[in-house]
Order: sequence, then structure tokens, then C-alpha cells
Amino acid sequence: MHFATYIGRRLLFIAPQLLGIVLVSFLLIKTIPGDPAVLMLGPTATPESIASLRAKMGLDQPIPAQFAIYVKSLLRGDLGTSWQTTKPVLDDLVQRFPATVELVTFGLLMAIAIGVPLGVASAVNPKGWLARVADFYGLSAGAVPDFWLALVFIYVFYTVLGWLPAPLGRIDLSIIPPRQVTGIYTIDALLAHDWQAFVSSASHLVLPVATLGLINAGPILKMTHATVERMLQSDFSRYEVLSGMPRSHVVRSALRNALPSIVTIIGVLYGFLIGGAVLVEIVFSWGGAGQYAVQGVLNSDIYPVLGFVLFSAIFSLVVYLIVDLIYFAIDPRIGH
Amino acid sequence: MRDYLDLAWRIALARPRFALGYFIVAAVTTVALLAPWIAPYSPITADPTRFLEPPSWDHWFGTDAVGMDIFSRTIYAPRVDLTIAILGTLISAVLGSLIGALVGFYSDRRGIRSAVSYGVMRAADVLQAFPVFVFAIALVASLGQSLHTVVLAIAFVNAPIYLRLMRAQVLTIRGMRYVEAAQVAGLSDLHTILRHVIPNAMAPVLAQISVNIGWSILLTSALSFIGAGVRPPTPEWGSMIAMGFQNIVTGQWWPSLYPGLALSVTVFGFALVGSSIEVLADPIKRRALVAELRPRGAAVLHRA
Repeated sequence: MHFATYIGRRLLFIAPQLLGIVLVSFLLIKTIPGDPAVLMLGPTATPESIASLRAKMGLDQPIPAQFAIYVKSLLRGDLGTSWQTTKPVLDDLVQRFPATVELVTFGLLMAIAIGVPLGVASAVNPKGWLARVADFYGLSAGAVPDFWLALVFIYVFYTVLGWLPAPLGRIDLSIIPPRQVTGIYTIDALLAHDWQAFVSSASHLVLPVATLGLINAGPILKMTHATVERMLQSDFSRYEVLSGMPRSHVVRSALRNALPSIVTIIGVLYGFLIGGAVLVEIVFSWGGAGQYAVQGVLNSDIYPVLGFVLFSAIFSLVVYLIVDLIYFAIDPRIGH
Repeated sequence: MRDYLDLAWRIALARPRFALGYFIVAAVTTVALLAPWIAPYSPITADPTRFLEPPSWDHWFGTDAVGMDIFSRTIYAPRVDLTIAILGTLISAVLGSLIGALVGFYSDRRGIRSAVSYGVMRAADVLQAFPVFVFAIALVASLGQSLHTVVLAIAFVNAPIYLRLMRAQVLTIRGMRYVEAAQVAGLSDLHTILRHVIPNAMAPVLAQISVNIGWSILLTSALSFIGAGVRPPTPEWGSMIAMGFQNIVTGQWWPSLYPGLALSVTVFGFALVGSSIEVLADPIKRRALVAELRPRGAAVLHRA
């Protein structure tokens, strides 16, 4: 199959998926008790402003027409307004989403750095002590609540040892955040050659990233172990062994053939973490998009929640698309 | 009977982790049931004169910020957490697998039922595209915060898992000779599905239920941690950890540490039980395990 047709076919599937997500989020607004206009303006609204917003949102029209108006406003980039921040949800999210992406990306990288080597090691030497450690770790990692592990880390590394900063956001309050280019503080600080801001934002990242990485390495570890083990037992590996290939080469080619499954689980985990890091964000007052959404739910400020849901759904779709492109690059069978 | 006990003992020796799993689950359940007789203090009465006391002989796990006994609250908590998690999981397992069986049985055929099956699967795709945790809080928030809505939210976010699992099973089973035979013998579709398809597709669902109860306990406590689930003073692990949050920074570790440990061990226990069911309910894996044991055990399992 040609690369272009492959991508084209893949992109075709995105439109109906997005439409489905928009439809469900629309229905969610409809099922929530209360008037959407009142929800958008908050408890301090006047009857006149509510009436004018109701007309603007088309709440006096039949449901299908309301859905059309909703989709149209989404296409214009209008995700509604948050009555808590009194700002358009899109602006709030553009400001906060990079914080979540930064946290989740580094957390995922750490999970990969733990999961893949441990998984390979336990597949190569299933009776070794490392395999036993990995086995126990894989079983227990998913059982520990991330918000509790985060608190334990804070107690040890902040309260007792004092090695790391207090869990109060992404950077010291006394330091001016670097000018927003990507919205990711560590990268922006490097771009601005602001060494102090870089050290501060990096040290704020350590504990939340360690929490996410340690807890989410489990699935990567299990998947790597299982697929590499299967590849090592397959005919091509045996043939390599019989041909007298060095052990490191056999393991490397087994890992190469196991990559599609490992990439899949990493992609799924990335999409999951955008919403799954919410509790860690809250514990560290991270100020990311997840925390914004949870504040929204708890204060019946519904539009930030919908905006977050849409953002993270689109993020997952993009991640899955990238995963498919990586397949194309690493698995020659798909190309033919 | 003695044969089975003997076999269970052998499996426990060969796979100590399975035994550990059943032990943890049994111990947590027993402690939860006996909590009123074990707990030295009332789990919801505060003694304002004795707040934030470190663990001592009087208060084994110390006291929290308002002066409630943490040990008593920690052993009462599984009553709430386990009940919510088990109910939510069972509802999602029953509904999800029933719908999944119907969808699997009718998919790729002609007619309206096949079209409906297709629609159900695409709806499940969309539901699973939402971030689980935020979706769960949104459900609790929109339905109104109570124990029932937490159960419903858990059932709702878990149902697609069973839907997919059961559908995949049924797709392979429906081509089997005994299903054809049942149909040819004139049984109705519903009768065939309920009596011949579902019972043969249950094994992975059972393993999933145990693992899922563990997840659901985590989800319940996470909802309570942010204040969207069970509210204090009701003893619940997540809300206890949240109460201790402020004290961690000032150095009082005990209000959050103990409920978190209890929570982790419990979820770990359910995960181990799940992994044991995965092996014991799968004929191929079970045979491999039995092959490791002595032949007498093999004979019994074969009859089973």
C-alpha cells in the first residue's frame, strides 16, 4: 500500500470519530440538570443576560437545530465560557493544556525507560533475579493509587529531606515563568537561555513525573516481556541462534519484531494519561488542563469539562494516528 | 472433597502468589465484616482533645486532624469501598456481557439486528475515547452526588470492557458445532445464547471481574479523594487520604499513610486473584499448571 493512500484512509476515519465525540459531549450538556445558559453565566447572572444568551445558543429551537448551532460554534473555536475564570474556555485550555502535556510526556518517557529494559531483561533471562523483581513490580505497580504515592514522595523528599520544592505548581513563585513559546516550561526556559527558570521547573517536575512513571511502567513492562518472550521462541530467533548469531543480535532482532505491540501499548497509555494524570496534577497544584476540568465539575462549571474532554479526545486521536504512522515505518509488512 | 482440598493445597504451593491473593481478599473481607467488633473506637466520632496524635498503644495508627481514630476508620473503610466496587463491577459485568453476547451473536449477519450491533460497537468506541476519570466525575456530578451514583458511574465506565470481551468470545463460539446443533434443534436465539453461548464464554469475563473490582476500588477512592465520591465522616480510604493531605507537608504522615497502604494491598490482592482465575479458568493454561504438579492432581482436575 502506498504511504499516501494509507494516511488518507486513516484520516478518513477521524471525521466520524470526532463527530461522535462532539455528539456525546452535546448530549452530556443536555442531560445535566439545569439551563445551559445559566450554567455558562454562573450563579451571579441577571435574567436579561441569561435570556440573550439563550437566544444566541438557540435554546428555544428544536434539539437537532441546537446541535447544528453547537457544532458551528465549535468550528469557530468557541468552546463556551467558564464562569469561574470568566474567560473563553479555549483561551484557558491553550494556556493549561501544555502543562498537562509536559507532565504526561515526561511521565511516559520515564515509564518507557523503566518498562522496556525490565521487560526485555525478564524475557531474556526468565529465571534471573531481575525477572523476579520485574514480575513483582508489574503486579504491584497498578495496585498503588497515584495520588497516595505522590503524597508519600512529598513527605520523604520535601518534608523530611527537603531535597525538592513544595508541591505548589510548576515553578518557584519568585521566578518569572519563561515567555510562552511551546507552553512547556522546561523547553521555553532553554529557548530563552533562562538557566534559573529551567532548574526550578525541572525540579518541580521530578516528583510528579516519578509518580506517573513508576505507576504506569507496569503495562509497558508486561507487554514488552510477553512479546519479546514470544519472539525469542519463534522460528526466526531459533534460526538465528542455530546460525551462531551473537546473543545480543538475537535479542535485538526479537525486540525489533516486538516493537509494534510495544508502540501500541505506549500509544494507548499516552492517550489514557492525559485524563489519568488528573489526581497527580491536583496533588502538585499543577494548574494543568485536568485540574481545570475537575474544578469545573466540582463547581458545576460544565464548559471547561467539555472543552477538556474534546481536547483530550483529539489528543488521543492524534496519538493513535502517529502510532499508525510509526507502524508504517517499523513494520515492513504493513507497507506491502 | 478431600481430593479438591489436596489439589488446592498443591496449587497454592506451586503458585504462592495465588494463595497470597486469596488470603488478602479473604482477610480484608473478614476484617470489614467484623469491624464493629474489632474496632477499638467509633469510626465517626471525633475526640477534639486528641487530634493528630502519632501512632501509640492507645491509637495504633494515630488520630487524624479532627481526632478520629485512624485504625478504626481504616478497618471500617472496606465496607464502603468494597460494596461500591463489587456492586458497580457486577452491574457492568452482567449488562456488558449480555449486550456483548447479543452483539457478537448477530454481528456480520444481514438485517436490522446486525446494523444495531454495529451501532452499539461504534457507540462503545466513542465512550471509550473519553478520559475515564473525568467522565466518571462528570457522571457523578450530573446525576447528583450519592453512593448510588458512584456505583452507576463505575458500572457505566466499565461496561464497554465486558462488551468487547464477550463479543470477541462469542464471535469464535457461535461457529461451533454445538451452537449450530442447538439452533438446528429448534431452540430460539435467546435460549441458545443464554444456555449454550454465554456459559462457554465466561472464563475471561470471570478473570476480568476480579481485576476490575480492584480498579473500581481505586476509582471509588480517587473520586472520594477529590470530593466527588464518599464524603467524610463516612470512613473511606480515598477521603481519609485526602483529609491527611494537608498534614503530610507539616510532617504528620500517619493520617494518609495507613489508608493508602490498606488500599494498595487490597487492590493487589484482587489483581492476584484475577491472575489465578485467568490460569485456572483457561483449559490450556490450567493443563500446563497441572502438568507441573503430581499426577494425582491432574486426574482430579481432568474430571472437573
